[in-house]
Amino acid sequence: MMNISRIFIANRGEIAVRIIKACKALGVEAILAVSEADRESMAAKMADRVVCIGPPRAQESYLKIDTIVTAARATGSQAIHPGYGFLAEHPDLPRICNENGVTFIGPPEHCIREMGNKLLARKLVKGYGIPVIPGSEKARDVKEAIDLAQDIGFPVILKAAAGGGGRGIKIVKEPLELTTTFETAAAEARAAFGDDVLYLEKYIPSARHIEVQILGDSQGNVIHLGERDCSLQRRYQKVIEEAPAPTLPDTLREEIHAAAVTIAGNIGYQNAGTVEFIFDREAQKFYFLEMNTRVQVEHPVTEMISGIDIVQEQIRIAAGEPLSVTQSMVKLSGHAIECRLTAEAPERAFAPSPGKITEWILPHGPGIRIDTHCYEGYSVPPYYDSLLAKVITAGKNRMEAIDRMKYAIEHFVIRGVDTVIPFLLYILTRDEYKEGNVHTKWLEGVLEQIYPDRFDSKGERDGGD
Amino acid sequence: MALTEDEVIQILKLVEQSSFDELRLETGDLKLVVRKRGCVGAVTEVNPTPASPATAYAVPAREAENKVVKTTPGKGSNTEAAAEQEGLVPIKAPMLGMTYRRPAPESPPYVEAGSYVKEDDTVCLIEVMKVFTAVKAGVRGRIEKILIESNMMVEYGQPLFLVKPDEGPP
Repeated sequence: MMNISRIFIANRGEIAVRIIKACKALGVEAILAVSEADRESMAAKMADRVVCIGPPRAQESYLKIDTIVTAARATGSQAIHPGYGFLAEHPDLPRICNENGVTFIGPPEHCIREMGNKLLARKLVKGYGIPVIPGSEKARDVKEAIDLAQDIGFPVILKAAAGGGGRGIKIVKEPLELTTTFETAAAEARAAFGDDVLYLEKYIPSARHIEVQILGDSQGNVIHLGERDCSLQRRYQKVIEEAPAPTLPDTLREEIHAAAVTIAGNIGYQNAGTVEFIFDREAQKFYFLEMNTRVQVEHPVTEMISGIDIVQEQIRIAAGEPLSVTQSMVKLSGHAIECRLTAEAPERAFAPSPGKITEWILPHGPGIRIDTHCYEGYSVPPYYDSLLAKVITAGKNRMEAIDRMKYAIEHFVIRGVDTVIPFLLYILTRDEYKEGNVHTKWLEGVLEQIYPDRFDSKGERDGGD
Repeated sequence: MALTEDEVIQILKLVEQSSFDELRLETGDLKLVVRKRGCVGAVTEVNPTPASPATAYAVPAREAENKVVKTTPGKGSNTEAAAEQEGLVPIKAPMLGMTYRRPAPESPPYVEAGSYVKEDDTVCLIEVMKVFTAVKAGVRGRIEKILIESNMMVEYGQPLFLVKPDEGPP
């Protein structure tokens, strides 16, 4: 690829390692941005060159657009890969990249803006004839919110238009609650997103989170790589993901794929993206939830069943190449699962547990893939998220994938930091999980049973995906 | 097209004498990459692609440390270790950006080797997207060594100057 021979990676942790691997496979140089806390990271050891962009705090390093674009240019990088989180969906990054002759490895700026405003996204998608969750436009004040909520029917969810990824969400069960919650939600949205616009949606209690992986190129080709089921969540943070979605009728599966491609095609999407849907188990209906205009944490499960390297595709697409496959060439086979192995203590309400990893032994075996940036002796810094590794397994069917995952998690030795390993093992053995009979509130229900006093199922937590 | 040994040596000499950091030459089935300063290594690869026009593009030197390796200038570099031994104090970059040794093109540099600085004296500017920040000495003493030029990228924490600090009260 003549166009891109050097990429500036504006991220850290396991995704930085992942991007470097794709660069190496493509013969592209990887220049890595690090904060001071990440100088000794695995990605730093693998990169062709490392550039220190600031002190540990993300606000002063990984979130500084001007610094990152300056560093990319000064190192002769033709493109920037934003990874996920941080600036991946900040529309100013592609804008400033464009202004400075640097290619942004991701979708066009307008796609990020349109899908980033959750209210606008709903409107657009509805206009394409795709079902959206019954809901409202902007709710200007408490009175209007109550009226809108009554039209929709309680319980409702109050959402921030500038939110997404489970942030800025409050479930409201009755009108009185809405009175107090509305102002708090607006204030929190203002503080977190700089925008206090709120809207309402119907709350669907027994729902599954089904999302579709999209790839688009600069020649107008848009394809899907199948769906993923990410219903196992804790406070809107995904814990276990899988592909394909179990126990879904094939007609519905095809409808969801088609809906995702319609949406991506209509907004002129390029590069990798994911369209998320809520599947109402009772009504057996799906609704558009939101679109993530970046590569996702759980992309490996799609890679395992499709054989397509999504990060390599991202780079190729950004370099102006057409997609390496057409839709008819995409063959999905087998089943893959991913567990997010985090440094958190489940028995202490999942309190983060940074520290030095004193023992680190990876599981091995057929169908086991580990995406990680950690190693024995590595000090997990306290400044960032707590993801240590993604444990991914694939099998010819779901049962084999689950068995391999149980084996992998059981044989993964980590000492020095608390991890969610025992908790993951517990979930993998539950009947509901094995039957594929879960919904987005199921995991929290399980947690309440295991840790009745310690676990607080209310509230939200920061984070994407 | 293959290069003779003489031609390779000629190219290496030219690169060495130039202010360029790196040369990448791709022509036909030949790919030659030459890097300076500790990473000099001519790599000839056979690339089985159809004949295409020669493209040689070079990356101008921008940094004091132009090794394409994993070390970062702020830590464990020879400069800092040696400096500590001599009792020299580094003035480090408070941010990543492009350096300016002078306030304006026609002006003299803020400091030269031998200049005496006080804590609040500006020693250089760092620019990010047209926003300039004055870097203060932060130490009182004499500039012993200048580690930067103008218009090069420095990283966060990169040593810019080495100062022999005053002893005792002002």
